[in-house]
Amino acid sequence: MTFFNRVGWRPRVADEVDEELDFHIEMRARDLIASGLDPAAARREATRRFGDLRRMRGTLRELGHGRDLHMQRTQYLGELRQDILFTVRQLLKNPGFAAVAVLTLALGIGGTTAIFSAVYAVVLQPLPLREPSRLLLVGEIYDGQPQVMSVGNYVDTDAGVTGFESGLTALNYANYNLSDGATPERVVGARVTANYFDVMGVRPMLGRTFTADEDRPGNDRVVVLSHRLWTRRFGAGADAVGRGVRMNGATYSVVGVMPASFDLTTDSEELWTPIAFTPEQRAMHDEHYLTVNGRLKPGRTIRQVQAELDAVAARLRHDFPNDNPTLSFGVVPFAERFVGDYKTRLLVLLAAVALVLLIACANVANLLLARGAARAREIAVRGALGAGRWRIARQLLTESAVLAVVAAAFGVALAQWSIGAVVAWSPPDIPRLEQARIDPLAVGFAVVVALVSSALFGAAPALRVSRPDVHSGLRDGGRGSTGNIRDRMRATLIAAEVALSVLLLFGAGLLIRSAITLQRTDPGFNPRGVLSARLTLPTTTYTEPTRIVDTLNRIADAAAALPGADSAAITSYAALGSGGGTNGVLPEGKQGPHNLINSTLRVTTPGFFETMGVPIVKGRNFNDEDRAGGRLVTIVSQRLAELAFPGQDPIGKRINCCVPGPDAFKIIVGVAGNIRSRGPAVDPRPEFYLPLAQAPGVVWNWFRTVYVIARTPGDPSAVFKPLNAAVARVDPDLPLFDVRTMEQRLSGSLATARFNTLLLTILGSMGLVLAASGIYGVIAYFVSQRTQEIGVRMALGATRGAVVRLVLVQAMRPVIAGTAIGLASAVAASRVLAGQLFGVSRADPLTIAAVLATLVGVALVASAVPARRAAGVDPARALQAE
Amino acid sequence: MEPHPPSPELLHGTLDALILKTLLAGRRHGYGIARAIEQATDAVVEVEEGSLYPALYRMERKGWVEAEWGTSELGRRAKFYRLTARGKRQLAAQTAEWARFASAVSRVLLTT
Repeated sequence: MTFFNRVGWRPRVADEVDEELDFHIEMRARDLIASGLDPAAARREATRRFGDLRRMRGTLRELGHGRDLHMQRTQYLGELRQDILFTVRQLLKNPGFAAVAVLTLALGIGGTTAIFSAVYAVVLQPLPLREPSRLLLVGEIYDGQPQVMSVGNYVDTDAGVTGFESGLTALNYANYNLSDGATPERVVGARVTANYFDVMGVRPMLGRTFTADEDRPGNDRVVVLSHRLWTRRFGAGADAVGRGVRMNGATYSVVGVMPASFDLTTDSEELWTPIAFTPEQRAMHDEHYLTVNGRLKPGRTIRQVQAELDAVAARLRHDFPNDNPTLSFGVVPFAERFVGDYKTRLLVLLAAVALVLLIACANVANLLLARGAARAREIAVRGALGAGRWRIARQLLTESAVLAVVAAAFGVALAQWSIGAVVAWSPPDIPRLEQARIDPLAVGFAVVVALVSSALFGAAPALRVSRPDVHSGLRDGGRGSTGNIRDRMRATLIAAEVALSVLLLFGAGLLIRSAITLQRTDPGFNPRGVLSARLTLPTTTYTEPTRIVDTLNRIADAAAALPGADSAAITSYAALGSGGGTNGVLPEGKQGPHNLINSTLRVTTPGFFETMGVPIVKGRNFNDEDRAGGRLVTIVSQRLAELAFPGQDPIGKRINCCVPGPDAFKIIVGVAGNIRSRGPAVDPRPEFYLPLAQAPGVVWNWFRTVYVIARTPGDPSAVFKPLNAAVARVDPDLPLFDVRTMEQRLSGSLATARFNTLLLTILGSMGLVLAASGIYGVIAYFVSQRTQEIGVRMALGATRGAVVRLVLVQAMRPVIAGTAIGLASAVAASRVLAGQLFGVSRADPLTIAAVLATLVGVALVASAVPARRAAGVDPARALQAE
Repeated sequence: MEPHPPSPELLHGTLDALILKTLLAGRRHGYGIARAIEQATDAVVEVEEGSLYPALYRMERKGWVEAEWGTSELGRRAKFYRLTARGKRQLAAQTAEWARFASAVSRVLLTT
């Protein structure tokens, strides 16, 4: 009711006060004159009774302002309450519309929020290090990327470069067997230079980090614990600092504990010890295994340190031509390397989910448009009853807001659930994904998008109806006046929805095709029935190469003798896991560093090929005659054979590798099939094999961890217990770890690709379903609005077929337009997927055809239902209606 | 000791009730309210202008009275106050409260 009361004249507060008081004084004076006072005295008396009139005016103005503000607010809130109640009543009257609109928006909001939260956790969230943007990974360029460095190169680079605060720090991951107190445990740790924590920019939570003195051989039995290890194994006690810990058979004393924030991922290293280079190591420029980081000095640029690094590299190439023939250094931001290639994948997903949000918004816009038309009459009536445009607009905006807020509530619940699902189903190695939380910013963003789009499409057209003239709205039931504009808008929305769906489906299609191709790709070995596990030879107890070889041979024999095993082997590297190094191989007769072929080395027992199912395509396998001291032999992969001896028979040829001197030459006795060692998506690299018995002693400096593999006719995981027992009988201090079947390793290597494919397929399907429901809604509305016209046509002799055609043509025009636009942009946009595609071109015609067929098919089905309804129109009844 | 004359000052909160009561018969402007109270109490209660208007503005804010501009009995434009539903409820409550208070005070003062 306040609504109508406000239509009246109301003065400004100051005028109101003045006028009211003047009136009062005048009236009082008049009465006083009537009782006998003279006019001047009466007026004085009337004024006097107010006391200080000026103060009174001031007080009243203040009170008046406060009153007006309060009343405005009350009125506004009252109207808002009315609007909300009205909206809720309206929505409850149309539960179908409300449910579809809310669920559609919730899907969009929830999906966007969930994926954004994942992207934020993995990519955008800053690392908990001091100024992480200044932290760089420095490395020797290999395969076009900065990789690990040798100790000598690290030491010389650290001395030769000035651009880094606290110098460069080196890290080497290492395994530690913790054997004090309770159960022995194997943890991953790292050996680091003393400046490591300064460079990374973290301070210990308890105790201290290493001194330069402790970073020297013989002085280095100190350890810094991670927060995780401190909590798990030391009960988070403050007395941990100063305690002694038995590790790898020696006693280390705990000097510090790092804060929880330095546990960057759930599988990052759990303890640190000094790396304590020996003078021999410092002089060693071959053997590259150090991860090197540096913190840029404030004000220095990457370009400046790169120039310094280039100068050092030139000197090292000159000083150590044998070790560093092609040395160059490169840097990459630490955060970039830390996040890895998940960045692109996640951003692609984010883009995809944003497309779904857009489709959802377009769908709701369509629903609102249709409703706006249906409500044109109601709005016209309200206008006629005196409701202002602003008031009507506010009502409609309230409706949009209520829809968006309810949808947001559902969306957040959905996001909460799907973040859990994403974390649970994702491959295990995505850093920090487990830290994903619902991001309020993402929720806000999605809600604003939903709000703006629903306000735009819900309120704007309805207002158009309310403005020009109330009468036409009342006269023709709100159908004619703006119908064309709305039809065009609706067709445009459909075309947009279709185009967005095409974009999504095309991306999903390409990934599905890649996944199928990957699945069918022969990895070069037979993973069925193969169990693999790793063990580490402690440096303290295994120093003699002969002892190492002897132990490993005994383990291989024991494993092969297990009742459940067909064959077994020891190998320095199996496939699809950690480990495995490369060496430069020089074919006999060639000279110079540019003829080196960088090849993956495996040191194996003869059982390797049978166990892994890798064929010997030429020549022979290793056998018992390939003994230490005998003729040095090797087996090369087909790929290496082609590269080293193109067009020739490699058997009997010699290659030079691994060690200097006369022992460098190995004679090729066999050629093995290629293995896709780094996963089915990566082409086979050149590889070569050395028999364990002939392994040069230096390899035990390169790796201390080897794989035990066993082939079984049945379930390979059943062999684990007996295998573990067999290894323990040889040496109880060699625990097996990283126990997995080769099939697990294979599917693990595909997990990320498969996960991405799954998510994009789900998003594509969501887009398709939303687009289909949008098409259906629009065509059904079209038919219901044209019932009369269709009736007339049929009365004039149009066949049912002609009516169906009319409807379908109407439906398919925006669908075809949208498909064309969508495909064109999809082929252009597929560039972002390039890194994830395998064996399929970016403009794959089969995928294009499939997407085209799917969309047109779905659109036809969606419009067929209303088309049939149109054909069923009874002309007589249609004409009588209204 | 000479008895004090009866205080013309209103007990706290009574002014609101008197104003509301005055408006029960219909809308009045501020001066009309003051006159009505004076007449009804035979001028025992003299409404001070200094308290009347602030009280009216406050009651307007609380929604007990509504103001509107109209023409006075002498043809001048004037601001009229009208009782709202909420004002009526407030009047009933204050009247009851006054009755309780007055009877309690009477019991003390008038018992011999």
